[in-house]
Amino acid sequence: MRVLVVEDDRDLNRQLVTALTDAGYAVDSAFDGEEGYFLGETEPYDLVILDTGLPKMDGISVLEQWRRAERKMPVIILTARDRWSDKVTGIDAGADDYVAKPFHMEELLARIRAQVRRASGHARSDLECGPLRLDTKTARVTLSGQPVKLTSHEYRLLAYLMHHNERVVSRTELVEHLYEQDFDRDSNTIEVFIGRLRKKIPPDMIKTIRGLGYRLSREVDDN
Amino acid sequence: MTTNSLAFRLFATAVAWTLLALPIAGAIIYSLYAQEVATSFDRRLTVLLTVVLSDTIDHGDQEPGDPKDVGEPLFEVTHSGWYWQIKPLDGRPGREIKSRSLADMSIPLPSENNVEPNEREVRIASLDGPLEQRLRVAETIYVFGEGKMAQRYSVAIAGTLGEVDTSLRNFRTRLALALSLAGIGFLALTLFQVRFGLFPLAKVEKGLTAIRSGDATRLDVGLPQEIRPLQQELNALLKSNQEIVERARTHVGNLAHALKTPLAVIRNEARDDQSPLARKVTEQADIMTDQVNLYLDRARMAARVGVIGRVTEVRPVSESIIRALERIYHDKQLSFSTDCTPGTRFQGERQDLEEMLGNLLDNASKWARSKVILAASPLPDSGNGAGHWLEIRVDDDGPGLTPEQMADPVIRGRRLDETKPGSGLGHSIVADLAHSYSGKLELARSEHGGLSARLILPLAT
Repeated sequence: MRVLVVEDDRDLNRQLVTALTDAGYAVDSAFDGEEGYFLGETEPYDLVILDTGLPKMDGISVLEQWRRAERKMPVIILTARDRWSDKVTGIDAGADDYVAKPFHMEELLARIRAQVRRASGHARSDLECGPLRLDTKTARVTLSGQPVKLTSHEYRLLAYLMHHNERVVSRTELVEHLYEQDFDRDSNTIEVFIGRLRKKIPPDMIKTIRGLGYRLSREVDDN
Repeated sequence: MTTNSLAFRLFATAVAWTLLALPIAGAIIYSLYAQEVATSFDRRLTVLLTVVLSDTIDHGDQEPGDPKDVGEPLFEVTHSGWYWQIKPLDGRPGREIKSRSLADMSIPLPSENNVEPNEREVRIASLDGPLEQRLRVAETIYVFGEGKMAQRYSVAIAGTLGEVDTSLRNFRTRLALALSLAGIGFLALTLFQVRFGLFPLAKVEKGLTAIRSGDATRLDVGLPQEIRPLQQELNALLKSNQEIVERARTHVGNLAHALKTPLAVIRNEARDDQSPLARKVTEQADIMTDQVNLYLDRARMAARVGVIGRVTEVRPVSESIIRALERIYHDKQLSFSTDCTPGTRFQGERQDLEEMLGNLLDNASKWARSKVILAASPLPDSGNGAGHWLEIRVDDDGPGLTPEQMADPVIRGRRLDETKPGSGLGHSIVADLAHSYSGKLELARSEHGGLSARLILPLAT
């Protein structure tokens, strides 16, 4: 899952990036409205955390322009302006949720999980696929009830596949959603991590669809 | 028309002027008329005297002859009030003749009453005649005969003043009547003039009432040139008042932004650290957050005090908030229903209504299992002059509150439930805001199972 943080306060931006990275997200950050708008316009984020009081271009305008450009990723507005008139303005501009500063990081993380789940069409916080189970709250994976130990990159990959299970996910899509912007996209890291994952879960669950990508499926003995 | 009003001042001045001026004018007109009447009466007597004198001279020689034609029939009617008389003076014998109307009486003579002659040697005086008639008498002295035979005669004409008096009395009555009518007409005209002239001021009064009741934000009535500057100044004042409030709100918002971001940074920095210092920092940051929120709310409320009223339609505000909440609580699949009586308008700022409805609806959505119900309607007029009020009720089907919690849930800083995210100050903010509008917030058990929050606010009429 790839997240964009647009926040001009450098300390808060750093804290958000750290907390989100720790929670298993690939995080890009922007420090002003123009930079934020450009990233959100060009990169396929799964979620954006957007401050409203930004230099160069305010958050509400950034959001409105994204929505006009048909960018539909979930956006959580993070702002000190917590009056209801501000909230209504934010939601009407196309935000999906609203978190007022000063906030509790746990609350923000919970809202992020909820938005990511909602965007991929899942109603509950723990995702299931056959014997596999992923609790997004605690970032724990179990296989038939037994915990599976994963590195953070393996977790990111599996979490993305679980969010989009039974669907073919291209290698490009995986690269775009799992790594920060400055990741070297020509490397074969995706293949390496798929290989490692197949050693930890029933290998047939992740199918390679030649020329298209991968599919996580609960039907183990398909072909 | 109260005594301390422009209308009264103008009208009272007009009344005073009328009461003073009309009698004086009447007196002057009357005296001029009376003088004119007297002068013309005297002229007539003088003419008659001349006629009688020349007639008697024509028909006599050493002594007066009988006048043949003096051209006044009333001299022939007994006691008519019109008389002539010729008699010798100085107690000497001589011919004495008089008009038939005088019968056996005689005319009182000015020469015997020390009246001085005028430049034509005629003495004119008003004297009491026979039969209690007031007479105007004109008399001249003429000498008949020559030498020793010369004898001074008094030739006199008398006319009764009765008809002059009657004519003057009639004139006085008519004059008084005419002047009274003129006075009444003048006062009526003044009354109309005052009303018509001051009509723009009545419009100003209406316009100000409309501003006060929130139906208008500026004075926009067509005013005459003289008080148009007043209107412009007033509108400028209203505008600057609104701008000051807007600026105060903006500053408050900026302050919030300036303080809350560092607070968020401090809190997050101390989050993962279990040291006593980190715990202290977290605790103090929370206190600071509450303080910032408390005083921001107060500043927002203070910024509103004294602002001339605005009117906010309840329905669009509740709809926009519900639209936002449907998005925020998308996962809960809540059903929101709104029952808003048309014309339910809140006498106050839109932002404040948004804040109250937002907090109540947010709270209800947070706790509701499946539905949130909003109903807004004007309350029937209590008829005791307490003003007009509207009621907004927000119900949910959540767990609700215990009676103890309901008894005092609005004390600032107390969280109703620590497990739900959010500041927990929702109800206290709503209660404070409602209170600042002289309204109130009441909590009760809802018929739908959860909490029922009832908000009473001033209704714009």
